[in-house]
Amino acid sequence: MLEALNVSKDFGANRALDKVTLRVKPGEIYCLLGANGAGKTTLINLFLDFIEPTSGEVRINGRKVADDPLSTKRDIAYIPEQVMLYGVLSGIENLKYFAALATGERHSREQLLALLTEAGLPEAAADGRVSTYSKGMRQKVGIAIALAKNAKALLLDEPTSGLDPKAASEFSQLLAKARDRGVAVLTTTHDLFHAKQTGTRIGIMKQGRLVADLSSQDLSHTDLETLYLQHMAA
Amino acid sequence: MIRLIAQREFTEFVRDGRLLWAGGIMLLLIVTALGVGWQRQSHLHAERHAAQHLDYEDWLKQDERHPHDAAHQGMHVFKPEPPLSIIDPGIGPYVGSTIWLQAHRQSEVKFRPAQDATGLQRFGTFSAAWLVQILAPLLIIVFGFNAFAGERELGTLRQLMSLGVSSRALLWGKALALAMGIGVLLVPGVVVAAAAVVIESEPGRLLDSALRFLMLGLAYAVYLAITVFVVLAVSARASSSRVALISLLALWIVGVLLAPRVMSDLSRHVYPSPSRTEFASDLSTDLKSEHDKAWREQFGVSTGWGPDLPLSKWGVALQVNDHVGYGVLDRHFGALWDTFEKQQRMQEWAGLLIPVLAVRSLSMGLSGTDFVQHRDFSVAAERQRRVVQDIMSHDLIDHADPLGDRHFAYQADKELWAKVPPFDYQTPSLAVVLRHHWSGFAILSAVLAAAVALALLFVPRRLPL
Ligand SMILES: Nc1ncnc2c1ncn2[C@@H]1O[C@H](COP(=O)(O)OP(=O)(O)OP(=O)(O)O)[C@@H](O)[C@H]1O
Ligand SMILES: [Mg+2]
Repeated sequence: MLEALNVSKDFGANRALDKVTLRVKPGEIYCLLGANGAGKTTLINLFLDFIEPTSGEVRINGRKVADDPLSTKRDIAYIPEQVMLYGVLSGIENLKYFAALATGERHSREQLLALLTEAGLPEAAADGRVSTYSKGMRQKVGIAIALAKNAKALLLDEPTSGLDPKAASEFSQLLAKARDRGVAVLTTTHDLFHAKQTGTRIGIMKQGRLVADLSSQDLSHTDLETLYLQHMAA
Repeated sequence: MIRLIAQREFTEFVRDGRLLWAGGIMLLLIVTALGVGWQRQSHLHAERHAAQHLDYEDWLKQDERHPHDAAHQGMHVFKPEPPLSIIDPGIGPYVGSTIWLQAHRQSEVKFRPAQDATGLQRFGTFSAAWLVQILAPLLIIVFGFNAFAGERELGTLRQLMSLGVSSRALLWGKALALAMGIGVLLVPGVVVAAAAVVIESEPGRLLDSALRFLMLGLAYAVYLAITVFVVLAVSARASSSRVALISLLALWIVGVLLAPRVMSDLSRHVYPSPSRTEFASDLSTDLKSEHDKAWREQFGVSTGWGPDLPLSKWGVALQVNDHVGYGVLDRHFGALWDTFEKQQRMQEWAGLLIPVLAVRSLSMGLSGTDFVQHRDFSVAAERQRRVVQDIMSHDLIDHADPLGDRHFAYQADKELWAKVPPFDYQTPSLAVVLRHHWSGFAILSAVLAAAVALALLFVPRRLPL
């Protein structure tokens, strides 16, 4: 369960988040929409303790992030818009390293290969140096790291950016599987179609505020695109 | 977790080639430095061994001659070269190591002016110690400047932080990686140096050498650890790895190259030591007035060695002359050497700000090549000189010719020469050295604590990403 309770975040005079409250329950995929600079990444960063809220609080599984960020981070996995890895290491070495840090366990080569395959990276690419990878390939290693962590909540900041359509749709299937296992997923995206397909809830942000919070029932009888544009125009 | 982080970092050193080229350069230089040191040392060793033997033998083999003639010729004594001087020659190359024991003068060193016993060190000699003091920090900078700054730029720092890796674990892991990196670079040098020290040590003093070697290793480990934490602190604080690199290079140039020289000048400004000529002229003025006084009081004459004093008294006169001189010499040399020691102390304590000064002093001390140990030798040599003088003068008194006119004709033989014992000098033990240098360890430990504190301060729980 991911909760933001009346959270605001100021960067100097710039209010990036303004009293945002939202909840992502286990088994939900919450898609966060909004224009560039609306505050989506800022919200995700608060859950990761990358930044501190100016007011309000964020909670993961009922525990306040600010109280013990190292332990709340154990419950989440994160995939950024651009997964950053060590260029001199191979994909599988990167995964091995980050997975070991995340879980405290050493994974066997078979386990690591299975994770990479599940994330959509062909086995043949696993041993190539990451400096030779395309953006999408790096993204897939990032997905594998998140899979290895087997976390109760996922924080995804435009995770499919750079993925080809086939990989993006495979990723949607992974998300669906995670949802079925009871994982709480918070994801930002600019892809309305994708949001409508995979999301169980959709939030629209504008200038730091959450201006719409829709359930899947709401969605079944509205056109998301029209709604989104209305909010943007308002 | 810390080990994992260190391993990954180390793999990067290996794969991006930094370890290879840095290791190559370091290995080459250390082996060269040790080679140079070894050559210098064994050369001196052989030469001195032969020379000292010959010189004392020469003394014993003198033909019959006037004792004071013999005293004028005197003999040479040689400072034993400590085994660890192969690592750190210290002030050795500047002060020389041969002392001529001759009548009337206390010679500090034979071959080199000693006025700069502390000042000259600032130029340093190419040696293994110099490499570790000066070059190793530069290598740590090359390995570590991007430790945090680089990962921040790359974005992997976000990845790490998102996984719940604590920033402190990252700090310790990176410190361990840097330690491993510099360790690997130094291991070959350490092995060669250890072997050389074992070979160079007299069997009876092997334990002493081994202990000194271990402590030297400890001192340098602390010094390098200080560098590691400073490098990590700057890397964590800097806004980019470029800024980190430039700041660290500036810090290296100032802290390792320039500041020690400035401190050296400053210490001589605070505790001024006389120039060679000033010292000599002050000494001779003082000697002359004390001598004149003694001649007046003891013999009632106003000029020394004149016709007023019967030759039969010249033996006593020599003795009086010498003994009056001893006090003056002790005073002048004592003051000069105390000044040198104060300069050194000041430089050592400046190590709180400029740690290379603290480790340099400690390194010379443990290697047996610092000023304190040079002074110990000089004092022992002077003692030996006085033994020679006293025996010679005493013989002249015993053989004083009542008529006086045969004073210059008198000749002593081998029996007298043999009364002079060989110069048997033992270098100060490790315990003596440690009494002088415990402060060096204290200073380095304090600086290490400060460096760790700085790193912890600049690596807060929530790292700026
Ligand atoms: N570290 C920062 N320092 C100052 N301002 C920041 C910082 N991070 C974000 N901001 C500001 O906060 C606001 C929200 O930014 P945020 O990155 O959350 O937007 P976003 O919704 O993720 O946009 P995008 O769709 O482009 O990813 C913007 O005005 C941005 O300039
Ligand atoms: Mg964003």
